[in-house]
Amino acid sequence: MNRIELKDLVIRYGDTTAVNGVSFAVGRGEHVTLLGPSGCGKTTTLRSIAGLEQPVSGSISIDGQAMFDATARRNVPAEQRGVSMVFQSYAVWPHMSVFDNVAYGLRVRKKSGAEIKTAVERALDLVQMRHLADRAASKLSGGQQQRVALARAIAFSPTVVLFDEPLSNLDAKLRAEMRVELRELQRRLDITSVYVTHDQEEALAISDRVIVMNVGVIEQIGTPEEIYNSPRNRFVADFVGSANILRGHVTGPDAFTVEGGTALKFTAPHKASGRETEVAVRTAYIDVVGHNGDNQLTGNVRQRMFHGDFVQYIVECACGRLIVRRPPTNLLDEGAPVMLSFSPGHTVLLQA
Amino acid sequence: MGSHRRSAPLNKRNVWQPLITAAVLLAVSFLVLVPLVFLVEESLNTGDALTFPPEEFGLGNYIAMFNEDLDVLTNTVSIAIMATVMAIAIGFTLAWILTRTNVRGRALLERLMELPYYMTPLVGALAWSVLAAPKSGFFNQIWHYFGGPGDLLNVYSLVGIAWIMALFEGTVAFVMIAASMKSMDPALEESARVMGAGKLRTALTVTLPLVMPGVLGATLFVFAEMLGSFAAALVIGIPARIYVITTAIWDSTLSYPPDYGRAAAMGLALFVVMFGMLTFYRRMVSRGSFATITGKAFRPRPMNMGGWVWLLLGVCCLYIFLAVVLPIGALILTSLQRFATVILSQAQWTLGNYQMALGLGPVRTALGNSLLLGFGVATVGVLVMALIVWIIYRSTMRGRGAVEYLVMFPQAVPRMVFGLALLWAWLNIPIPIYGTLWLLALAYFTVMLPLGVRTLAGVVLQIDKSLEECARVCGASWGYQMRTVTLPLLKPGILAAWLLIFMACVRELGVSVFLMGPNAKVIAPSIISAFSSSGTELTAAMALIQTGSVVVALIILFRLTRGMTQPE
Repeated sequence: MNRIELKDLVIRYGDTTAVNGVSFAVGRGEHVTLLGPSGCGKTTTLRSIAGLEQPVSGSISIDGQAMFDATARRNVPAEQRGVSMVFQSYAVWPHMSVFDNVAYGLRVRKKSGAEIKTAVERALDLVQMRHLADRAASKLSGGQQQRVALARAIAFSPTVVLFDEPLSNLDAKLRAEMRVELRELQRRLDITSVYVTHDQEEALAISDRVIVMNVGVIEQIGTPEEIYNSPRNRFVADFVGSANILRGHVTGPDAFTVEGGTALKFTAPHKASGRETEVAVRTAYIDVVGHNGDNQLTGNVRQRMFHGDFVQYIVECACGRLIVRRPPTNLLDEGAPVMLSFSPGHTVLLQA
Repeated sequence: MGSHRRSAPLNKRNVWQPLITAAVLLAVSFLVLVPLVFLVEESLNTGDALTFPPEEFGLGNYIAMFNEDLDVLTNTVSIAIMATVMAIAIGFTLAWILTRTNVRGRALLERLMELPYYMTPLVGALAWSVLAAPKSGFFNQIWHYFGGPGDLLNVYSLVGIAWIMALFEGTVAFVMIAASMKSMDPALEESARVMGAGKLRTALTVTLPLVMPGVLGATLFVFAEMLGSFAAALVIGIPARIYVITTAIWDSTLSYPPDYGRAAAMGLALFVVMFGMLTFYRRMVSRGSFATITGKAFRPRPMNMGGWVWLLLGVCCLYIFLAVVLPIGALILTSLQRFATVILSQAQWTLGNYQMALGLGPVRTALGNSLLLGFGVATVGVLVMALIVWIIYRSTMRGRGAVEYLVMFPQAVPRMVFGLALLWAWLNIPIPIYGTLWLLALAYFTVMLPLGVRTLAGVVLQIDKSLEECARVCGASWGYQMRTVTLPLLKPGILAAWLLIFMACVRELGVSVFLMGPNAKVIAPSIISAFSSSGTELTAAMALIQTGSVVVALIILFRLTRGMTQPE
């Protein structure tokens, strides 16, 4: 059975519709990420699962129990849903110690003193904060507050934990570290999580499945690999990873002719209608050495930009400019002619 | 669709919230708007001023204002202009010194700048009459002692009244100008320097134009405040027969029979002018013509003033001396003597004035009443205002915008005009609380609404909503969340609001003069009547006792706010 199930959820703020008919299910122990640009409705969706927003229609159920159901006029208040949440601002209570913060959910549930102590210490151990248990929460650094928020969210052994952009306020290095720790924690604890982020790299790295949202609707649901390798439409191709979008039209069962006349072989993740006008090619999947059977385009290197982990070339072709990212070896010079090659499997036909 | 009503309602609070909001909206509009409606009606009453409802309507009261009271209007405007010019000059100088230069002890000095405001214009006016009254004023005593002819200073003049108003009511100019100087991105000046402009050129071409809108805004605001200023004009102006519009209003309610119609017309005219100016000011601010105000506080890099630092420090100290040390010193000196004199060899020392002030039945009751009202209004008021703040900033109820507008409305009405409106309203509303402390309490609560709501809102807005939400998600009920999270976080703000309201009640004058009854006296108007009937010595003792109780509250407040702003 699914742990969480959302059906046709609609959430409005006054006249604006923040979430417009969202449906998805999260399996037991699954880690799902809602990914999208700011204002796409991902946080609103998450908050409605927690019971902090009231949808106008649709339903939300957890473990088969209806938490919200517009037609049955049912709305279980946040405190009775039994889910847990890590807030973007951490929401660590400044007037309590670290221990008291983490113990809150346990005290609400009227656990005994000994139980509370054990559970809090276990949670603090998981985030390596046990030595700071007695410190006032107002004296913690950003990274430490983030750990306390995490410990507090898992201390009362919830089955569902919701994450609202928990890493967005950390600096890049700390964020990368916390990502590794979060993934580790998800594996160790028997929890189901829904995670919200606008950082596509983070979404791909820590999820079992990614749900890409835009302007209140779901654009695509899939594993990180599916989302990356087979973006369904232009928005997903653009928003997740970096891709070249080539314009043209379908000229055969597996032929797409780009501007400038070259025909490319493609794959289509959906049933092609023949009216499609764009294919996407990931910048990382383009080689500068020709391979047999690949799509090939000729051009000139217009700009070379050294990024360290990779080198980015802008290549001027007949069909427009293409961005190519290669490992930082065998550098090409600016102005040099180049033959670009990429497999038909990586030439993805986008939905019209 | 509506027939499916089997399980729990969608949201239980949905039933209560509109009810409470409607009740608050009704109560607040009754308190705030009804008096003004009465005032408008009375201002149009051209028949017998004391009949209600009026039998004849007309614009006679308004026309009379221009026919008979033209000198009052010119006095009002000229005093307001002088006071504004002085207040802005003082405010600009001090703001510049304390935000843009490297004078030492700026944090402490900035705190001290607030003191004149807390001293109240009433106490300031009393003190300056002791200092600079013709003949008996301390300055003039010394002048005569050394054989000077005539009077050196005379505070019983247009300039004198303006001086006192600027000193004790002009603090807001400093606060506003300092804020606009603080919110200026130092990079704007630095880029001018980098482009090769000198200090002076930078100041003239970049700093001044950027600060100018802030200064203009402050000027407009202060001028509007000065038009409605009451205390100094009452204490100094009436003995000197210099009437401004506020004292003219006061005077026409004292004549026999009281001319409430005329008072109402003048009050409304004053209100309309001030309201217009303040609205214009808000427009100006919200239009974003203040390029410097980005909402972000910058740390301006102070300019190194070299040897000038001492002169600038001296200027700050001079202001503190004139507005705090000298007035308080003069009052203390006066209160300890039988006949006030600054020539100490002639002084007859006594504690009799304090004994009299505390022993005299009416004075003691007045002080007791003021403290009682302060405690009561602050305690009940803070609870009600917390509820209002919660409705405005935390609920999603329709009508919360109207609640916010209404509670802030008394701010736009000159205090003593509001007092007049309340007087006329409650004389005619068939609830017999006129002349009792109950009416005073109700009136205090109404006029303190903006102060209390603003203070509490400042704290509530600082508390991130997710702190509360997190408690709910952790499983806490609404009550448990309030008890463990919301209230503990609000506590310092609630205490601060309580103290501010308490202080404001103890020093309240504008509403009190109209609503005080023979059996419900309060301290500030009693000080004024003592000043006109008994000697300055007793009055000084009373003023110091009142100031003392405000100072105690103030010290507690500073302690509290310091704890709030510093990380623990």
